[in-house]
Amino acid sequence: MTGTSEETAMPAGPRWDPLVRLTHWGIAAAVLLNGLVIEEGGAIHVWIGYAALAMLALRLVWGLAGTGPARFSAFPPSLSAARAHLSDMLSGRHRVHRSHNPLGALMVYALWAMLAVVTATGIAMAGSPLAPRPGDEAGYGRAAVVAGHDEAAEEHGGAESAAGEALEEVHEVAANLLLLLAAMHVGGVALESRLSGRNLVRPMLKGS
Amino acid sequence: MLRRLQRRWSEAPGGRRETALALVLALQAMAAVFFVGDVLADITFDGADLHLVLEAAVALALVLGVLFGALEMRRTLEEAERSRTALSAARGAMTDLIEARFAAWRLTPAETEVAFLALKGFDVAAIAGLRGAAAGTVRAQLARVYAKSGVASRAELLSLFMDDLIAGPVAGEPSGADAARLPAA
Repeated sequence: MTGTSEETAMPAGPRWDPLVRLTHWGIAAAVLLNGLVIEEGGAIHVWIGYAALAMLALRLVWGLAGTGPARFSAFPPSLSAARAHLSDMLSGRHRVHRSHNPLGALMVYALWAMLAVVTATGIAMAGSPLAPRPGDEAGYGRAAVVAGHDEAAEEHGGAESAAGEALEEVHEVAANLLLLLAAMHVGGVALESRLSGRNLVRPMLKGS
Repeated sequence: MLRRLQRRWSEAPGGRRETALALVLALQAMAAVFFVGDVLADITFDGADLHLVLEAAVALALVLGVLFGALEMRRTLEEAERSRTALSAARGAMTDLIEARFAAWRLTPAETEVAFLALKGFDVAAIAGLRGAAAGTVRAQLARVYAKSGVASRAELLSLFMDDLIAGPVAGEPSGADAARLPAA
């Protein structure tokens, strides 16, 4: 009837608050939809891109204003910590981290940076989500995008459209890198869950 | 054992308020980003006018709304965490007290569970249902609990614990002397 040990037996991993979970799955859905499902360049693609940027912005605000494991200070980017974590993984030691583990933290920052590049270049090409610009008669058609917003394009000629093409190139390369990083992220979570015997997906779904 | 029982019968759902706040914040953030994007595009293509100034004010209000919403969310989470901690501390203390008493009265494991459920307010039929036992068995176990603790009723049993919670130790008496004040086992 002592019953004290079972309370402390299992050290708690990170508990993700609702805002972290919401932005995580929101961004995941947006990246998968825009990267793999929705036709690029269309109005829906642009709306989803804006929504993803909103989720990213909210998550970044939360990194400063939030609590506990959601704060940037709970998972500072550190190469040396990541190396230490890697050698822990290889030698079979497991430490419980109250936020992202050091390798996961690096991945988080990489994903955010790549998402920022993708959304920024996307928005630079598409303009406002609320009102199509003059010259965008075909909605947010890729032709209009590549031509630059054509009033300007007519004046500046080749320079504008070259800039547009560069934007599009960066957008596509960054989007592919983002998908690659996301795949690595999923692989890393699976590997870490397997090695540590702790399901890392559940806290992101249910909180703890 | 008590802690396990307590977890089984007093698990409280939570976090609904936080989830709702997070959803509202997400909607606000989307609106803010759409409006800021629209304002920036308007400035780029149409130049500034009164309409745009108003739009910019709306966008700014939305952004501020997100920032203050995030701070509000932080306060809500911190408050919830604080009350969780306080509650679990109080629960832990209460459980320690109950455990100490039950041990002092030398209750059997079955009597312990029945006494615990009785303290939580379950009646004989409910306890019998939870334990899969006959009502007569539970009644007999409760009678032994009352006898061992020197009380005549469930109300008296409860008052043994309420007394400690409300009044605390009598002045001049060392707090560790609780056990000395127990009715004879």
